[in-house]
Amino acid sequence: MARARSHRYARRITRTWQVGALVAVGALTAAGCSSSSSSSGTSATSSSTASVASGTSTAPGNATSGTINWWASPINTSGKDVRQVLISDFEKAYPNIKVTLTSAPTDTDTNRATLATDISGGSATPDVFMGDVIWPAQFGAHQLAVPLSNYLPTSYWTQFAPGLVQGATYQSKVYGSPLFEDQGFLYYRKDLLTKENLPVPTTWEQLQTEAEQLQKAGLVKYGYVWQGASYEGLTCNYMEYLGSAGGTATKADYSTATLDSAASIKAVTFMRSLVTSGVSPAAVTTFQEAQAMSTFASGQAAFLRNWDYAYADSQVAGTPTVGKVGVAPMPTFQGQTAPGYSNIGGWNLYINPHSKNIAADLTFIKFMASTQAQMALVTVSSSIPTVESVRTSPAVIAESPVLATVPKTKLIPRPAGTPNYPQLSTAIYQNVNAALSGSVSPSAAMSAAQSAANTALSSSAGGL
Amino acid sequence: MTTISDTADQAQAPAPLTGRPDVNRRRMARLGWAFSAPALIFVAAVTIFPIVYSVIMSLSNVTVTGSGISLNGFTTSNYSLVLKNSTWHYALVFTIVYTFITVAVELVLGTMFALVLQRLTAGRGAMMALLLLPWSMITVINAELWLYIYNGVYGVADAILGDIGLGQPNILGTNLPAIAGLMIADIWKTTPFVAIIVLAGLVMLPGDIYEAAEVDGSSGWSTFWRITVPLLRPTLALAVLFRVLQAFGLFDLPFVMTNGGPGTATTSLAILGYKAMFQNLNFGTGAAVATTTAALVLIGCLISLRAFKVQVGREGN
Repeated sequence: MARARSHRYARRITRTWQVGALVAVGALTAAGCSSSSSSSGTSATSSSTASVASGTSTAPGNATSGTINWWASPINTSGKDVRQVLISDFEKAYPNIKVTLTSAPTDTDTNRATLATDISGGSATPDVFMGDVIWPAQFGAHQLAVPLSNYLPTSYWTQFAPGLVQGATYQSKVYGSPLFEDQGFLYYRKDLLTKENLPVPTTWEQLQTEAEQLQKAGLVKYGYVWQGASYEGLTCNYMEYLGSAGGTATKADYSTATLDSAASIKAVTFMRSLVTSGVSPAAVTTFQEAQAMSTFASGQAAFLRNWDYAYADSQVAGTPTVGKVGVAPMPTFQGQTAPGYSNIGGWNLYINPHSKNIAADLTFIKFMASTQAQMALVTVSSSIPTVESVRTSPAVIAESPVLATVPKTKLIPRPAGTPNYPQLSTAIYQNVNAALSGSVSPSAAMSAAQSAANTALSSSAGGL
Repeated sequence: MTTISDTADQAQAPAPLTGRPDVNRRRMARLGWAFSAPALIFVAAVTIFPIVYSVIMSLSNVTVTGSGISLNGFTTSNYSLVLKNSTWHYALVFTIVYTFITVAVELVLGTMFALVLQRLTAGRGAMMALLLLPWSMITVINAELWLYIYNGVYGVADAILGDIGLGQPNILGTNLPAIAGLMIADIWKTTPFVAIIVLAGLVMLPGDIYEAAEVDGSSGWSTFWRITVPLLRPTLALAVLFRVLQAFGLFDLPFVMTNGGPGTATTSLAILGYKAMFQNLNFGTGAAVATTTAALVLIGCLISLRAFKVQVGREGN
């Protein structure tokens, strides 16, 4: 009996061999297919880049009928979905334009990869997509978005807060219409600072000494938490230190990088000193937003650098930090004028070049810059509006401590004016992260970053 | 091995073809091709076309625009760019070392587990189910779990290492511990898979050889090395083949846990290819990374098969 069973096993194993050979082929396919999955639509392309020019340029946003597919990742996680609120507001104003929402991936890179493959494959949907503020150059250079400035007049663009339209411009054409903004803020524990009679820090050095004092007094385990992992968020953090130190990431024309400047090394040396002094936990080199947020919200850190949602997250019922958190602009380095720089994040609206309804798309985009839509973003999702008049209105400022802080901050963009920004950013965050973990010195790390960044900036054919 | 003929299978074998001498062989062959054509076309569409297209793309000047991906002429610059890139050099070494170590450890541990399971009389099913839990979970979820364990602030691994006096090592934030951390997560997940394959091989080993060995007074140790291991060779080769293929494509663990960091310490070839393609939209370079990786994994598999001195399809008859 046992013999017979083992024999059947033998046959099955032989079959397994055949299956094994098939699997081997399959795995090879998988290795190769990452490249080809994106190519499936090559033949079905080229339908309508021409229609961009010919189609609807006579009607810049005055269409009153049509259908729009709007691609947007979730903006808020609690309460009503602000995307649905915006859509229903729009449909009330334009009853003959129908908007359907496609919920996009929350991960920015996955979002971009999906859009890039869809659009380059000739897909006519989505019509309008919500994309990161760092995409305009890449999408512009690859013709994955419509140059909106061909349709919308200068008067449309001047209503936005300074710097935002410039960030959405590539080769003097504007590709994205700012929907909502985000930026870095310094969150601090009001109760702890009061206990030790300390002011809200305005310089990095002050933040470091105050944090050490609070840690020594046994009030808190860690002084300052932020985003130090090897990912895009570290580039955002680095840009804030770099700007405060008086440096830039590249020359203004993006011809070469300036990442090995004295200011840059000063910035990274200071970031590393936050780790070595124990003000920031060693694990900050693995922190993205979520880890920094949970460390702060659980009461284990005195200061936090994070985006605008962090205030609301620190005030969720049951969180140890309820009622104890203050918001301030980012600090600067000693000797510079406060405040320091806050890095710009946020999302723009772009139009797919293959969209069949560019006139209706423009109507939609224009509506999203209206006071009504911008106020909905404020009241429903506490987002920072991009239209200057809304941003500085007393009603908005009274809405939350974060929105009240916005007009006091100074903004710095990431060096996203080059189509090779993703490589440039990788050069920055990989090397800064290596310096933070102590495996290389700040100056060695930044000279490695400099050479990787120069490769990124000089290569037109692309690199790794 | 074929001591008992399998009558059941023979009875099922389709006899009519040979039983009808009037049937035109060529016509039957044509009919056969016709019936298999849909499947062949399907396989070609999903397997051969992507591979060939990927190779073509890696040898072309690729531009991605709103009007499609265009291939503008032959070039080897994608390959020269990849082969000269220091991150690629690192990723290559990292991927090979990672594959070698994880597969070796999994093979040893998996064989040990299988030997224990084989001797279990009670509760073997329950033990196998338990053992298979890590394997049955999606890797991304596994990675998230390990991310909690390795968390540098509240992670249990840091707490344990701290308690035994090793300080707080900041596992995922330091080069070697991060690599070791990924390997441990990988080994934890895939050792059960190796164990199950080896167990299947163990069960089919003929019992009479063991009886003979026992009669001859062979010790347990020498029985294992002289009988079990040689007879298990095809099974072990299969396990290694599967694992090498998988480990070489290492992607999800570092993607979730480290994003290739700290610095570039855990950047595998797959991560590098993904970034080239989907972050930088450099499809030519990305295809070159994918193609070289596929070629290397093929070589890796051939080497491991050679190491186990088996050829697919030759054993078991």
